[in-house]
Amino acid sequence: MVDKRVLVFVTLAILVWAISISSLAAYFYLQNTTYTKQIDENQQSLNKTASNYDESMNKYNILMGEYSMLYGIYSFPGGNFTSSIESLGRLLDSLKGNYSHLLMDQEDLNETYYTVEEDYELIYKESNVTREDFGRLLNEYYDLFNLFAVRELSFVLSETVTLNVNACINYGNGTISWCNETIMPAGSSLFQLTQKISEIEYTHYPSMKPGHVLVDSINDKKTYAVGYSEGWSWIWYYWDAEKQNWISGPAGCDAWMLENGGIYEWRFEHWSWP
Amino acid sequence: MKIHLLNTRKLALFGILVALCLAIQLTPRPPNVEFTSFFTFAVGVIFGPLYGGFFGCIIMFVNGFFSPYGFAGLVMPFQMIGMTIAGALGGVYRRLMPEKIDSVRFCTETAIVGAIIALIYDLVTNIGVGFWFVVGGMNFALAMLIAIAYGVFFSIVHIFSNTVVFGILTLPSIKTLNDLLGGEKIG
Repeated sequence: MVDKRVLVFVTLAILVWAISISSLAAYFYLQNTTYTKQIDENQQSLNKTASNYDESMNKYNILMGEYSMLYGIYSFPGGNFTSSIESLGRLLDSLKGNYSHLLMDQEDLNETYYTVEEDYELIYKESNVTREDFGRLLNEYYDLFNLFAVRELSFVLSETVTLNVNACINYGNGTISWCNETIMPAGSSLFQLTQKISEIEYTHYPSMKPGHVLVDSINDKKTYAVGYSEGWSWIWYYWDAEKQNWISGPAGCDAWMLENGGIYEWRFEHWSWP
Repeated sequence: MKIHLLNTRKLALFGILVALCLAIQLTPRPPNVEFTSFFTFAVGVIFGPLYGGFFGCIIMFVNGFFSPYGFAGLVMPFQMIGMTIAGALGGVYRRLMPEKIDSVRFCTETAIVGAIIALIYDLVTNIGVGFWFVVGGMNFALAMLIAIAYGVFFSIVHIFSNTVVFGILTLPSIKTLNDLLGGEKIG
């Protein structure tokens, strides 16, 4: 016969084993539940992105078709541009209607749109619209349309992808303030990042390309010029990880799209000319 | 006079064991591999459940402040309760021990008791962690389930290490301590 004490200890050992295994099972069950939930959420997010992408491409194709018709009128000789200008006006309205959410959210796009619209109003008032005027306006429209399309795609992507960027502001007097690990939606420009991390003033230059924005002040530190030959301005740089140095920004900050893990710097710098 | 001498000896031994246990407990070591529950159990066996409980309680109180893993915070009272139970179980085990027990059986039994102590201690401290989640706004039952489930790997390490430590060290240690106090023969 097995003695009672042995039975008690065997029972205790089995109890330890049973509780440990049950806890392990609970752990794997919880992990499984968590991962299943995450996978479902990711799938829903992907489905939403795919659906938004389809919608965006559909919109793009319709607008592209309408633009193509006007471009045909412009390309073939003998076109009546005075009557066609109204069609271009409708196309501008259609662009505004289709991308209204971008116009509301993105200041730089809004300003560029209204510059094209003003140009249109000026040409529309003329009794005789020339081929050159029509072509120039059509060109402005096309640039704007492409910009809207790129931003819209970025916007679609931003619902599933975010960017993690680092930026610093170098005031030129030894003070450098860093904003590390800043989260931005995919498709954001350096201009949007700068607006997020600081108080800025800027001027929109419609004729300047690529990018129309020049920053006049960051956190109340204003640019200034001494005559025409020298001054202090806000210049932006990005960090080139391969070359291991700062590269001066080759475009306006509103045209430069952020990269995940990118490092950017605004530097208050002295310049002189020539 | 004899009783007085015995008490002084006991008190001195108790103090030495507290110091030794604290020194080992506060030394950096792998997570959940510890000797405190073994010392606490041994003190419970030698000095009785009250002393054992008090020993475990005081060790975990000091550990709560000076642990190499940082301040224990809200979990500290639960650690104290867990180790108090370990000490008390030492006293209870001594009372339930048969008059004659062979060494192999004693080692096997203490190894199982070590596993039980590790399990109880981890359950109690995991409940303490669960309270943190409840304070953070989580549902009580879910908080406890998550705390216990996510602590399972640490518990398994703890149970295994305690089984080995108790199984190997309890018999020689208790014999030595008993001899020092001039008590009855064990094993």
